[in-house]
Amino acid sequence: MNFTEHVKIRNEKFGTVIFETLSEKIFITNETGARILELIGQGRDLPQIVDELREGYLGDQKIEKDTTDFVNCLKENNFIYRKVGNDNEYRSSHGKIN
Amino acid sequence: MNIEARTERSINSAVEDNMAEGARRLKTTIEGMRFEDYKAPLFVAWQINSECNLGCLHCCEEAGHSMPDEMNKEEVFDFLQQIVNLNIPYVAFSGGEPLLHPHFFEMCEFLRGNNVSLKVETNGEFVNERVAEKLAKLRFRSVQISLDGATDKTHEKLRLRGDWDKAVAACRHLVKNGVNTEIVFVPTKFNIHETGALIDLAYSLGVYGVYTGKMMRIGRAAKNWDMLCPSDVEYEKFFAVLKEKIDLYRGKMKVYYYPYDVVEELKYRLESPSASVLVLPNGKVKLIGPLPFICGDLKKQSLALVWEAYKKAWRNPDVIKFAKKVIADPKLLAESNTWKQV
Repeated sequence: MNFTEHVKIRNEKFGTVIFETLSEKIFITNETGARILELIGQGRDLPQIVDELREGYLGDQKIEKDTTDFVNCLKENNFIYRKVGNDNEYRSSHGKIN
Repeated sequence: MNIEARTERSINSAVEDNMAEGARRLKTTIEGMRFEDYKAPLFVAWQINSECNLGCLHCCEEAGHSMPDEMNKEEVFDFLQQIVNLNIPYVAFSGGEPLLHPHFFEMCEFLRGNNVSLKVETNGEFVNERVAEKLAKLRFRSVQISLDGATDKTHEKLRLRGDWDKAVAACRHLVKNGVNTEIVFVPTKFNIHETGALIDLAYSLGVYGVYTGKMMRIGRAAKNWDMLCPSDVEYEKFFAVLKEKIDLYRGKMKVYYYPYDVVEELKYRLESPSASVLVLPNGKVKLIGPLPFICGDLKKQSLALVWEAYKKAWRNPDVIKFAKKVIADPKLLAESNTWKQV
């Protein structure tokens, strides 16, 4: 996974702002969400992100569901795309497979 | 584990309500928390010059000739560097006609080179094949072309000295080169009857979207208000046409509009100012388009300082009092470009 072309991220005192400038939509997320964003930015996929977070949240049964919900929310709003095939193929912010 | 992912109510509204999607754009955008909580603006609307080849009857900026005290190259690039340093994600260039700015492409290259999202608002008359290729390389968020009619006669009646053919050709060049192209349409008495045809034309041109909304009663539009402002009945038909076209082009082309007029916008902003600044060609920073107040000067102050002044200015009793007067008497909007220091 990675961010679509027009997504910008900025840390603020109150949380992390995710700004998709094409649709001009904003999300604000907390520290855990910010960590997920960081991992998405590194190109990690969902299972890798869940694995990574599990280490920091031992015993938390909800981790997989919460992370999946969060990532799905980002996908639905076109903030992230899932790499398809090779790295040059992606779902752009126009909703088309380029 | 709890992962918060909050959006503002108005953002959700925009997502849920297709008619308003994108329409509440700046409203949904530039806020998230209270604007005072942001360490810097999220959006900079920058009128980079005042020079324009046209003399549009509805121009909010009353553009035409250059201001004598516009920012010089050094000041411009100092400000650009501050935008980057403060991690401002999104900038819009307008004018005047921004492509007439002597350093336009260098400014765009600077921001895009630093991964700042950039929108350019132009009349399109200087966008030929070669320019479109250059713009394409910069991968803008979008280039917005003003097209105020489905025919040359209508467009040129409103946009004095304008050339409809050139604006349409600009759309073609941009689309051909893969630039995310939007058409902006301002309804007036002169052109509101062509709304549907304009949207159909936009689709035939292959643009990404058409953006419209009620004419803003600012600048020359305010001065020509009685001549230009559509009637309530005309607006009613206009919104009915928009709804029809939104349905028709759903999934094919974005048709979106800002549903509020400038007075409604001002009422909203008094309660919830946006995390954005409006920069004039001479470096002065305006609180908001419809009000005459200046809260800083980028030739003399840093953007960080101006941002703090902006936050305070919205709580200034004189600003609030004047804004309420404007809301009660919209004729005062004609004074929006007679600047007053807060």
